[in-house]
Parts: sequence; structure tokens; C-alpha cells
Amino acid sequence: MADPLLAVRDLRVRFETDEGVVHAVDGVDFDVDVGETVCLVGESGSGKTVACESITRLLPDSTAIDGEIRFDGTDLTDCSASTLQSHRGGRIGHVFQNPQDALDPVYTVGEQVVEAIRIHRDVPKAAAREQAVGLLDRVGIGEPEARFDDYPHQFSGGMKQRVVVAMALAPDPDLLIADEPTTALDVTIQRQVLNLLADLQAERGMAVLFVTHDLGVVAEVADRVVVMYAGRVMESAGVDALFDDPAHPYTRALLACLPGRGDPFETIGGSIPDPTDPPDGCRFHPRCPHAVADCERGDHPALRSPAASSGGGRAGTNDGDGTDELDHEVACLLYDDEHALPPELAGVDTEVADD
Amino acid sequence: MPSSDSDSPEFARVDWDAVSSGRRRPRPRTAGFALAALGVVALFAYDLAVAPEATIPVVDWDVNRSGWLVVVALVVVARYVFVPLIADRDRTGRHVRAFLARPAGPLALGYLVAFGLLGLLGPELLEFSYAKLDARLQPPVFGGVDASANAGYSCVGPVVDGVCRGTWQYPLGTNYIGENVIEGLVGGIHVAFKIGVATAVIMATVATAVGTVAGYYGGWVDDLLMRYVDVQQTIPAIVVYIVLSTLFLGNIEGISDGGTFAFVLVFGLLDWGGIARLVRSEAIQRRTAGYVRAAKAAGASDLHVVRRHVVPNSTATIVTALTRRIPLLVLAQVGLAYLALNGTRPASLGEVLRVSLQGRHMPWFLKWWTSVPAVLVLVGLVVACNVFGDTVRDVLDPREEVR
Repeated sequence: MADPLLAVRDLRVRFETDEGVVHAVDGVDFDVDVGETVCLVGESGSGKTVACESITRLLPDSTAIDGEIRFDGTDLTDCSASTLQSHRGGRIGHVFQNPQDALDPVYTVGEQVVEAIRIHRDVPKAAAREQAVGLLDRVGIGEPEARFDDYPHQFSGGMKQRVVVAMALAPDPDLLIADEPTTALDVTIQRQVLNLLADLQAERGMAVLFVTHDLGVVAEVADRVVVMYAGRVMESAGVDALFDDPAHPYTRALLACLPGRGDPFETIGGSIPDPTDPPDGCRFHPRCPHAVADCERGDHPALRSPAASSGGGRAGTNDGDGTDELDHEVACLLYDDEHALPPELAGVDTEVADD
Repeated sequence: MPSSDSDSPEFARVDWDAVSSGRRRPRPRTAGFALAALGVVALFAYDLAVAPEATIPVVDWDVNRSGWLVVVALVVVARYVFVPLIADRDRTGRHVRAFLARPAGPLALGYLVAFGLLGLLGPELLEFSYAKLDARLQPPVFGGVDASANAGYSCVGPVVDGVCRGTWQYPLGTNYIGENVIEGLVGGIHVAFKIGVATAVIMATVATAVGTVAGYYGGWVDDLLMRYVDVQQTIPAIVVYIVLSTLFLGNIEGISDGGTFAFVLVFGLLDWGGIARLVRSEAIQRRTAGYVRAAKAAGASDLHVVRRHVVPNSTATIVTALTRRIPLLVLAQVGLAYLALNGTRPASLGEVLRVSLQGRHMPWFLKWWTSVPAVLVLVGLVVACNVFGDTVRDVLDPREEVR
């Protein structure tokens, strides 16, 4: 397989705060291939937003970023400011969570799309305006010519997010980082924006790194899923493998919280650990129902294939799609050779499999 | 609708490599601004080195030092106020309509425009001599004063029933040393205009630069700049001016138009602390705004973000602060001139008031025409500036739109 479009290796992000050093992201690996949609999933505070904002170094200057972020052959952690600036927007678009203040109230919506076009390309104003109208039309703004001269406060939240998407798409990026793009929108609008993103991605062969805490959204948009918890990757798998055959106890607990799966009132007990003082061993062990003594010691477990341990019956679930099986990785000690897999994890999950 | 073709939108068909060129050319307005600035410098050099005594050819102006400051200030105003207004007609049109919808704003602007035109062109066009006339304490036309109170001075106009009537020769009357009141008023407006424009431009430039840099970059830059502002604000500019003027008053007076020049420099360079603080707090708010983060994520440079997003979003604050500051500056100069600490040629309204209230030939309320018009002009300026500033603030803030 060719090199991935984006390869993140051993990414570590530290903030200095008054309470101590926060390891917001603590050794994270993931890839995004050309044209692929990867979802970063996790609770609030799991480090998913920090991880994707560190890709183009949008975090404050005081943040310490270590590791390797390779985008199409360029190491973004170690490149000149001008290279970084040409990648921001030009190759890697960004859509933020809250559309309410993502548009400058001083300029009309059209002017801002024109600006997004002209940051990267020296296009005459008239031509840029024509393209901006085309973009607004494409993202589903009715009567784009007329609405071009409206101010952001005359747009609804969903319309604003469409404009933000248009601005991110203006320079024709290869990768779109969408950081909870639908969280601030109401449910019907969420659906429209998700459909729009999916259409645009198919149309332009663009890769999408989608950050969300909503597994319902994940099921709809993702090709692959990276589950994060307390700054670490817990599990990484193709979307079918993850939903049909979740390996990590945390992933299973997250899925059990989805309506229609597991106990309707089940929640994950406890809360996410103190970011300045994460627990030893597996980050999830204080909340994990299957934790054994070894889970509380040493480093966070390394990623390994869940099938490698001894699950003879497990391999059968993904017969149709071999790559999912290869890509499926989980950071849990229970899947190594020294530990017996608890029956709840080892068995073919009857109650989830028929979903 | 030119590009409703959703399968292949307009932007997808553009050959970007052909369109984009490496380095950007300077924009026409930057080039024009540089040319105008060079022109001013050339004229200044000509005035200074080649022909200090002669007037500038063609326009026949003898521009003095403070005059040069005003010329530079006007070039800056043209570049940063009028050129953007003209360049972006759509936006200007919207702003003008919103402005006209608020009746107080146009009235205030009308007053300020009249004030500015009179101050800029009045003394040249009306060919004032500022001569002292023999005809002293003449009442204004349509006015009159008890002839017996006019002790020792002949009445130019007719004396009707013991009342000396004014004449068209001196439309606003004359004061007790025989100065034409209208010349004094227009001359005072001229000085106030120069002081207001030149000081405001210097203050706005320094305050915006310092405030934005401190607020946007934060950290030690912020600490350094704001501690300096603290120190500067402990000593008000007016105190600095008074000390300097007592130390060097003779020297300042010796220089042609030294009073205006010294006032503009001292207040322009030392009185911007409060505005810088306001701009800084705006910049801090803007720094974390979604559109600033979005612009950076879209590849905009810091300079671009500051110029395109941070400063424009602070414009309403800067304009409001300036419109409150300008009348205070003019009043400060009037006060200093009243105390004979700031001599200007022509005399400022402060000096006009001082002269008009001196002299024991007639109590001040009988010779009201020498002082009341000057006071009214100043009151009008203060009110007009404040009303104008509030209206502009409302117009520039699109969130305030109520329709």
C-alpha cells in the first residue's frame, strides 16, 4: 500500500498550566489515507481536538509538541513557518466546532469566502467572487448571488457552518479536519451537514479527519475509527470491525451507551482521569470492569492485533474484508499471550452482532 | 445565476497554477500612499532647504511646521479612511444608509465638516490680516450696545436712541483691542482643526500599534508595553507640556508657530495610553475569536490576521475613543492658550477668550459678542464629536442592526 496521506507517529502534546503539566496527547499514532474518512472518537478531554489542532500547529506557542507528523512527504513538526502556512488551508482545511463565531461579523459572508480563496491564490477579485458564489451554491446556500452580501448574523447556525465548509474547501485541500462540525447544530441540520460533507468528499476525493464524540455520527461517516482516551489511542479499526467486534473494554463501554445497544441506562462509571496526573499502566484501568493487577503497572499497553492472541472464533467475523482485520489494533493487556481473555470479551458478541 | 452547475462548480475548472503567481504586487493603494508620502517629503525638503522663505508654488501656501504635520496627518487619513471608503462602494453605501437613518449623526457630521472646511481653507480664502483696527468694541451687525458704556471708543455704525448699532463692516463685531471677531473665530477654528487632526492621527497610530501588538502577542511583549503605558500615564501630557513650556517657553515662541507644533508633539506622543489600553483589551478578545482561529487555520499570516480581523473589529472602539479624545485635546489647548502657555498664530480660541475677557472698559456681559460665539463653537465641537462617535460606533457594528 502507498504511503498514507497523513501519518502521525508518537505524537505528544504538553501544556504548562497552573495545576502542573498536562499531557493532553501522550504518544498517539494514526494514519489517514488519500480519500479516506478517519474518525477520532473519545469523551471530552480525551485529547482528540488537541491532536488534530497540533497537526498544523494551531495550538498556542507555549505548547510543546513532540513526535512526527508526516503529510504527503513533509514533516509538519519540523518545517519552516512558510511551509506550514502554505499547508494550513491550502492542503489541510479546518472546520471548527462552533460556527457561531467562526465568521468575522465585520465582513459579509461572500467577502470571507473570497478572502479564503485569495489567501492561497492570487486571483483577481472578480474571478474570486465568481468562484465564491459557485462555492456557496455548492454547499447549499440558496440564492448565493443575493446572500453573498449578507452579514454572518443574518445566517442561521447551519447556514454558517455551510459557509465555513465552503471557506475550508476554497483552496481545494487534500485533507479536511472537521472538529465536531455538527455538535453545535440541531439534529436535522446535523444530518444535512453530514450529507454535504460526504458528498463533497466523494466528489473531490478528499480525505477527512473527523473528530466527534458521537458514535452515531461515526457509524455514518467513518471508514476507519481511532478511539482515544486520556491522550492515548485505545483501539483503531475499520468501522465495521469496530461496531461488530469491538475489542477494547472502553470501546465496548462506549458502544453500550448508544441507544439500542446494551443496557439503555448503562454509563461508564467514574470519570476521565486528572490530565496532570494520569494513572500508571492502562489509562482506563480505574474504570475498566475487566482490569487485572497487571493493568495498574508499567506503561500504557502497546497496540496489538486482537486476533493474534487466541480468538479462533474472532477471525470469522470479518471474512468479507481482510484489510479491516489487518488494521484492527487494540491497546489492552488482555489481548496479549500472557493473559486469559475474559469470556465476555472472547465470545462472539451475540447481543451486539445482530445489530 | 452563473454557476448553479453543481456537478462541476466554478472553482473546480480554474487552472490554479496558471492563475497564482509567486510574489504579490503591492496593491495600488499602497503604491499611491507611498507616492503621496514621498511627495510630502519632497515638498517639505524643498520648503526646508531650497526656499525656506518662499511659499510653495502653484498653491501659494506658506506651510509652517505644524502645517506639515497636518499635511502628513491628512495624507494618512486619506489613505486609511477615504480610500477604503471609496474602494468599497457597496460597503460604504450600506454604512451611509445606516448612518443617514440616524438623524443625529448627519447633523453632527455636518457640523464637523463645516468646522473642518472652515478651519482648513477659511484663513486662506477669506484673506485674513488679523490686523488690529482702530474701531474697537464694535457690536455685531443687528446687535447694539449702549453707546455710553462704550467709553472712549467711537461707534462706526449709526447711534440710535443712545445705542451703538453694528454694521456689515464688522459682521461679528470687534474686541477691545480692535480685532475682528470673525477673524478670531475662524483663526481659532483653524488652530483647533490642525491640533485635532494632527494629534488624533499621531495618537491613533501609536495607540493602535501598541495596543494591538500587546493584546495579540501577549506575554512579555504585553508586559513591557503596558508597564511603559502605566509609567507614561502617571504623568499627564498636560503636566509635561506645562513644565516644558516654562522651561523652554521663550524658545518655543521664537520658532514660527512653535506653540501648535509643541502641543501636537507632546500630546500626540504622550497622551495615547488610555486608547492603547482599550485597543489592547479588544485585541485580547479578538485573539481567541473563532474567526481569528479559522483565519490562522486557513493559512493567514499574523500580519494578515491583525490587519484584516483584529484591527477592523476594533475600529468602532478606536473611533469612539478618538471622538471623545479630540474635543478634550482641543479644550486642553484652549485652556493652555487661555493661560498664555501656548501661543499660536493665528490665535487659538483660548487666546481669543482671554483677550475678550480682558479690558475694563466694559463688563463682559455687555461685550458678549467677543466671547459667547467662541464658547458656542467649542460646545458645538464637543457635542458633535460625541454624537458622531456614537453614531459611527452603531453603524460599524453590524450586530446592532435592528431591521
